[in-house]
Amino acid sequence: MKSTLNVKESLHIALGALRANKARGALTTLGIIIGIVAVITTMTAANGLQNRFRESFSAVGTDVIYVSRMPWVVMDDFFRFRNRPNLSLKEARALEERLRGRAIVNPTMDGRNNVKYRAETMEDVSIIGTTEKQSRLSAAVPETGRFLMPNDVQYKKNVCVLGSDVKDGLFGTVDPLNKYVSIGRTVFRVIGVMEKQGGAFMGGPNFDRQIFVPITSYVKSFGGGHGEQDVNMAVKAPSQEAMADLEYEVIGEMRTIRQLRPAEPENFSINKLDTLVTTFNNTMGVVLLVGLLVTSISLFVGAVGVMNIMFVSVTERTREIGIRKAIGATRASILFQFLFESSTICLLGGTIGIVLSAIITAIINATLMPASLSIPILIIAVVVSIATGVVAGIVPAFRGARLDPIESLRYE
Amino acid sequence: MEPKGNGKQNGAAAPAAAGPSLSLRDVVKTYQMGAERVHALNGVSLEVGRNEYVAIMGPSGSGKSTLMNIIGCLDVPTSGTYALQGQAVAAMTESQLAEIRNRRIGFVFQTFNLLPRADILHNVELPMIYGGVARAERRARAAAALERVGLADRMKHRPNELSGGQRQRVAIARALVHDPSIILADEPTGNLDTKTGDDIMAMLDGLHAAGQTIILVTHEEYIAEHAKRTIRLRDGLIESDLSSGARAGSRRPMTAAEPEAPVHPEPAIAAREAAL
Repeated sequence: MKSTLNVKESLHIALGALRANKARGALTTLGIIIGIVAVITTMTAANGLQNRFRESFSAVGTDVIYVSRMPWVVMDDFFRFRNRPNLSLKEARALEERLRGRAIVNPTMDGRNNVKYRAETMEDVSIIGTTEKQSRLSAAVPETGRFLMPNDVQYKKNVCVLGSDVKDGLFGTVDPLNKYVSIGRTVFRVIGVMEKQGGAFMGGPNFDRQIFVPITSYVKSFGGGHGEQDVNMAVKAPSQEAMADLEYEVIGEMRTIRQLRPAEPENFSINKLDTLVTTFNNTMGVVLLVGLLVTSISLFVGAVGVMNIMFVSVTERTREIGIRKAIGATRASILFQFLFESSTICLLGGTIGIVLSAIITAIINATLMPASLSIPILIIAVVVSIATGVVAGIVPAFRGARLDPIESLRYE
Repeated sequence: MEPKGNGKQNGAAAPAAAGPSLSLRDVVKTYQMGAERVHALNGVSLEVGRNEYVAIMGPSGSGKSTLMNIIGCLDVPTSGTYALQGQAVAAMTESQLAEIRNRRIGFVFQTFNLLPRADILHNVELPMIYGGVARAERRARAAAALERVGLADRMKHRPNELSGGQRQRVAIARALVHDPSIILADEPTGNLDTKTGDDIMAMLDGLHAAGQTIILVTHEEYIAEHAKRTIRLRDGLIESDLSSGARAGSRRPMTAAEPEAPVHPEPAIAAREAAL
């Protein structure tokens, strides 16, 4: 029935009521504003953390499979993995040979060591032994100088490429090219400095606080004899789509290299950035859920405020309800009128909340992490505000709709 | 103030064919007041024809407010039947009653009962908003109704900017605007001074002359005399039902009890409450 859902009349009434009680309306709306800001900010913050995470691993390609002794994320029994044999450089070369033409294989070894340049020392810097293929696996490029070349690896040259933090820490404004740094007890010549990658994040690796050296020199200088080599292999797929196939091929080839019988479990792990991202997202999901639960409480308090005001509003307008009923308003139209009013309050609060959240998000984005208001978040915010209005308004609205017209007309 | 034109605009209201406009048969209404059952109406039978002008009178507690509420479809009888233009009302649902009130009944209240925050044009539009009349037509009809009661120049004013008489004229315009079958006026002059009250009664007389059925609830003899038929209630029963031909008496006896100044709403409302 047309008369039941007269939106214009209801809007007219709702705005009229808000205008008539400005302070009361403002306070009620404030409750909703705070609730919506809390909820949106939680969502954008979680979103920002995710972005930040992705960004901090952007140096690691998503089309790369890592073969290592251990899985990156140990979900279950650690002891199942601890007796696995290390991956050796020899095995890496064998895999490279077998995958020739199908994928690029880059072996790396890493450890931590102190680095010195004249009087400056940096402790516990990540030292990565790698090959020239490193540059084909990640987006990172040298800012000055050059990256490792095949010759450096082949002839075990003591050259190194510094991460930007290492360069800043040791050299400051001095040009580091062709200067000599001591890594542990070995002297390396600086041939390049990498571009800044962006800060470390939540215990993740800091890609700026590392030094690349040829893997051959790494073995020579920092040990890693045959028994103790712990090589990781990065295998780059020709395309993102080839990832799944490549994973099976790598497993197959590795099993062959390790001469595993069909029933034997693998004694190496395949790691992908996806696994890490999935793990992170699962964790984030829980954090977000808890955050939303907590912030929902503030929205709930706001909703209770709206409900309270709607009860007051219904009581105050008992006579008006009587008049409207006498001249033909149905229960449904009275119900709709009050639901519309509570929804209007909440939508108004929601809108102001969204604007405030946009400002807060901009501040977060500028200072803490890459955050932005996404369209889905905005839609959720609007839907949640309207739903809050309906939920908060339903009981008072029912009370109003059920009022007896005769009693109401006599109400003073 | 003479109403112009036909009392009935050609509207949606069903043209009342021959037969009574409303008819009540053995209407009983009881209220549960705590442990006590109060019989407000004890079996009232009544027929009102088209274009009748009826006054319902009676002392406090006689059941005249209850009768008016039932005729106005604000309440339903405990037992007995009530038919409005041949349509049985007693068995109707809330929303059907709401529609009847909207389409068939035009209320004029003692306390005017206008929406204080809306301008008077909007007040007059209100029945048509609930009746689902399109905006443009609504505006035009509300404006025409206000013109008819002589308030065309006040459309954008709010009720509290108007005098009592003007407010009651707005209420009459609102009652008229949807072409009701009956205008139900409950003590329409109760809050007005004598002069203004006379104006309002003249307006109702004019509406009757133009073909409108009017039922008037009052306890003032001289107001009731405007009607052509007077029904007196006592203790929930019809005590007398007289047409004006059978009744002698002057138009307006001046009595000591008759107030000269505007009556304040409070005593009148107390009286109405006592009536229930």
